[in-house]
Amino acid sequence: MSNRISAILALLIAGAMFVAALLFMQSVHGASSALRAAAPVAVARQVPIDSTRCIASTVYMKSHHMQLLNQWRHDSVRKGNRAHVTSDGRRFDKSLNTCLGCHASNPMFCFMCHEYANVKPTCWNCHISPMEATR
Amino acid sequence: MKKVLMPLAIVLLLCLIPYVAVRYAGQSYLFGVIVPYAAAALFVSGVLFRLFDWLRRPVPFRITTTAGQEKTLDWIPYSRLDSPATPMQAWVRVLLEVFLFRSLFRNNKAELREGPGFTFASSKWLWLGGLAFHWSLLVIGLRHARFFFVELPGFIVPVEVADRFLDLTLPAFYLTDAVVLAAATFLFVRRLRDAKLRIISLPTDYFPLFLIGAIAVAGVLMRYVTKADIMTIKALTMGFSEMSFEPPGDIAPVFYVHLFLVSVLAVYFPFSKLMHMGAIFLSPTRNLCNNSRQKRHVNPWNRAVKFRTYAEYEDDYREKMKKAGLPVEKE
Repeated sequence: MSNRISAILALLIAGAMFVAALLFMQSVHGASSALRAAAPVAVARQVPIDSTRCIASTVYMKSHHMQLLNQWRHDSVRKGNRAHVTSDGRRFDKSLNTCLGCHASNPMFCFMCHEYANVKPTCWNCHISPMEATR
Repeated sequence: MKKVLMPLAIVLLLCLIPYVAVRYAGQSYLFGVIVPYAAAALFVSGVLFRLFDWLRRPVPFRITTTAGQEKTLDWIPYSRLDSPATPMQAWVRVLLEVFLFRSLFRNNKAELREGPGFTFASSKWLWLGGLAFHWSLLVIGLRHARFFFVELPGFIVPVEVADRFLDLTLPAFYLTDAVVLAAATFLFVRRLRDAKLRIISLPTDYFPLFLIGAIAVAGVLMRYVTKADIMTIKALTMGFSEMSFEPPGDIAPVFYVHLFLVSVLAVYFPFSKLMHMGAIFLSPTRNLCNNSRQKRHVNPWNRAVKFRTYAEYEDDYREKMKKAGLPVEKE
């Protein structure tokens, strides 16, 4: 009898945890959408792009590009801050177009590695990828 | 305390060996190619040896565990899972044991309280912690398929997507990374907290926990914090699946720590309690159906006994029996 009760209890707890996780996600998403509505996105200033060198070293970009892009999205879309200053003082527009300005010359630039490493970035859920653009 | 600290020290030393050897002595070929292949060979041969060693032992009789009504008369309902009557039902019991740990679900605890108080109650924490630990390890193992296949096998994709569905960090945060570390911590603390468990725990109970914990920590570090070049790593691991002996490219030492600890785990596996992974399928209390009432089970190593029937006895002594006036069956 006590086994049956604990089985039901375990199921209830599992269900409660699932509902709690759903509610948590709902609240997080709700908060971010409210923030989006409150803060108008600043108009992007046209920043001249220095296309001779990347914004950071190849080694750093290889390992941290996803975190940098995430930061850029957060800064530009949610805070309206679109100016990126590199460690050596160059200024860039915080935009995926800044990257693609150079890197879209090879439409496979993103996909070569991501396909090989089986990584599925969420960028192209909204943005048009260089591969789609060339098609 | 020594039996906790010794395994911890050993695991820390095992972390240090590949780090120092790769970082300062450039032994990346030894730790990136030779050690993993040797470990894999030892793992496979060791596991096969242990399994065949168990398989060749005869199990003549059914070991029935009295967890449910045995099949008897048709009108008495019997417990198909807890007292299976057919091999099929017995294998369902094995699979449920493997995937849901039903034996652990029956776990009890008995405690002597202050004063004349004694409690005896169901205890599900070990079941829950064990389930979380093993399922995370399974999902993590499946996720690693992305390093060994050009394209992720179809059934693993939904597992991987479900694992990162929280979409928290970049690279995407995997739930199982947190769950496996939490569960390993719980299983470790569980052994320390209870005096009875502390006494019966051995260094070989702590060592695998620390080892798996260290593997997970190294993996988490590589993914979220210190970073290692995934392209070079995939080139190396694809080499593993093609049995190539190409030297690895330039990979961060933390990767070699991860790989070496996995190699140690693989070598340690067949000769330790971790073999429960294979043994669970062979455990007689789970995989034998309880059909002792339907079928006669004869012990194969019984000596051949010369039986003497009553008819033979009477044949020998019939005349004497008649003289003594004893009744005989055959005149």
